[in-house]
This record gives sequence, structure tokens and C-alpha cells, in this order.
Amino acid sequence: MSSLKESLSNEDLIFFGKINASISHELKNVLAIISETAGLLNDLTEIAARGDEVDLQMINTCSKDIVEEIQRGFSTIKQMNTFSHSVDDPVTEVNLNKLLELMINLAAFLSYAGKVHFDPLQPTGLTIITCPSRLQNLIYQTLVFAFESVGPKGEIKVSLHPQDNSMARITFSGLGSKAVREFPVDQTIQIARSISTEIVVAGDAGVIEIMVPQSLEH
Amino acid sequence: MSDQNKIKLLLVDDEIKFLQSIAKRLELKGFDVITTSNGKDAIEVAEKNLFDVALVDFQMSGMDGSQVLKALKERHKYLEIIMLTGHATIDSAVECTKLGAFKYLEKPYNFEDLVGVIKEAYQERLTKKFEHNMERSKQIQKLSLGSSPLGILRGLAKMDDDEK
Repeated sequence: MSSLKESLSNEDLIFFGKINASISHELKNVLAIISETAGLLNDLTEIAARGDEVDLQMINTCSKDIVEEIQRGFSTIKQMNTFSHSVDDPVTEVNLNKLLELMINLAAFLSYAGKVHFDPLQPTGLTIITCPSRLQNLIYQTLVFAFESVGPKGEIKVSLHPQDNSMARITFSGLGSKAVREFPVDQTIQIARSISTEIVVAGDAGVIEIMVPQSLEH
Repeated sequence: MSDQNKIKLLLVDDEIKFLQSIAKRLELKGFDVITTSNGKDAIEVAEKNLFDVALVDFQMSGMDGSQVLKALKERHKYLEIIMLTGHATIDSAVECTKLGAFKYLEKPYNFEDLVGVIKEAYQERLTKKFEHNMERSKQIQKLSLGSSPLGILRGLAKMDDDEK
């Protein structure tokens, strides 16, 4: 797989940068909420120090919000860490449940992201050998396209199925049929080809399927 | 301070917790605040209320901040709009300035600085309205010289149409 390692291109870097920018935006939002809520707590403390009445419920809500936002920040940092390590090995074992979950979570940072219902493969998912960063890019591009198709109030479904013991089938459904006909663009096709993956579009049904080999080394 | 004398603020951001915290802090500072979590609602609320200043998040689902800025400016010439963003870029700053934003602030910002900018924006609004009213008074004076009562009424109606 040395050719894949050598071919890590500008496109890969653009994708990596795009995701990192999106994560940093999310973290800024988290910090902005913590900053404003802590500021509000400070304002309330000053009111109390003057001897004026302060709504205790509000103080309670503020501290709960801060704890929740800190958890949101930790969760985002964990996702950032997992994503960052996905370029460690150009081809490696990947749990598809986890990879899909990560990309769905990262795509949710987009301002126009709709709701995603993910139906993971039970009980533990499907482990395949592939190029994680390229597959992530492909999944992300499909999610972006899906969100643009259905709009921010739309809902899509993502599911995972094994296929013929040699393939994994990732299905995106609930997309508009007209929009699906515009997918995939050339760049997406190139990414798919580089990891021997096939994109199948069922326009009338509003479905996109990504057929991933269970082992890129075969 | 009575509600009538308070600076009326419209806050638009899809981060609900951020919106609630900042709204409460600004209320404690003496502002009269109404919040909405999307651009469409902001435009509707602005039709029903007279706001002095609006704070609009740049990156939102549905209508983004620049679309909201454009729509509000088209409908409310004297409303001053401060844009807030999680990630400032030169392009977005230029875009907002061209569309008439008063200021463009990056999150997280210093709260006292924000309060200062809101007061500056309010002053700007008052100055523009004052200048507009002065200009209007001059035009009315000009109209009243040598025009019939009907001519004055027609002139006033035309001035109103031109302002829309």
C-alpha cells in the first residue's frame, strides 16, 4: 500500500484542515457559552454582594450549563483526537460503526447540518481494512451533500450492512431524488476509486450506497 | 430606568445557551432584550418591534448571518447591526461591512467591550436619525414656502415614499 501512502495529496490536507477548522469553531462556541455563563454568575454574585435578591434557580441553571458545556468540550476534544490519529497509518483496521459515528458527530458541527439517525451494525460493528482518512473524507462529503439536499430541518438515515463477506454497504437514505442525481462529483469519485470503493446512487429512492471492500489489501 | 428609555436590543444566535446567558447579562446592564434563534424569526420580530441595535451571529443554520444582516438593513435603515462570529475571516468581515454592519466582533469577546460597542452603535443610530430629521425639517420648510396646502401634502407623501 505504499502507493496510497505516497498519494496522500493536497485533497487529503484540505479535508484535514476543513475538519480541524470546524472543530475549532465548535470549541469556540463552547468557550463562548462558558465565558458568558461564568460572567453571568459573576454578575449575580455582585448583585448578591450588594444585598439585592438573587434568583437561586438561575445560579443553579448557570452552573449546570457550565458543566454540560465542559462535557461538550471534552467530547469534542476526544473526537478531534480520534480524527487526528486517523492519518497515523494509511491502511489499517477500522471499525465502521465507530468511523461512521465519528463522521456523523463531526458533520453535525456544520451550521446547515440536519438530523441523522444512525443504525449501527449490532453487536460490535464491522471491522475492515481500509484507508481511514480517505473513507472518512468520502463519508463526510456524502453527509455534506445529504444535508444540503434535505436542509437543516431535514432528517437522513445512515445504516451499515455486511455484503457477501467481502464488502460493507453503507446506506444513506431519506435524500431528495432530484438532489441525489447530482451526486457524486468527480472529486468524490476519485476518492472512492483510490480505496476501491463504489458509490451507487438510487435517484428515485433518494438513496446513496457506498460499497467498501472489507479488505483493501485483497 | 423605565422600559421606554432602555436601548432595545435584538439578539440572534442559534446557540441557545449562549443566547440566554448573554441576554440575561445585557438585561442586568439595563438593556431591553428580545432573543430569536434563527434569521427568519429575527426578521418577523423586527417587523413587530422597534429595535435600536441588533446582535447577529454570523454562522447560523437556515439563513446565515449575512443574509439576516442584509434583510434587516433593507427593512430597517436606522437599525445598527453588530455581527458576532466564532471564526473571523477577512472575507466575511468585508462582506458584513459592505452590507452595512456597524461592527464585527469575534467570540469570545470581552463583555464590557461588547456593551461599549452596543452603546456606540446606539449613538450612531441617534446621530443618523437626527441628521435625517434635520434634513426632513429643511425639506418641509422648503415645501411650505410657496406651495398650496395640497402641494405640501403631496410633497410630504412623496418624501414618505422616497424613504421606503
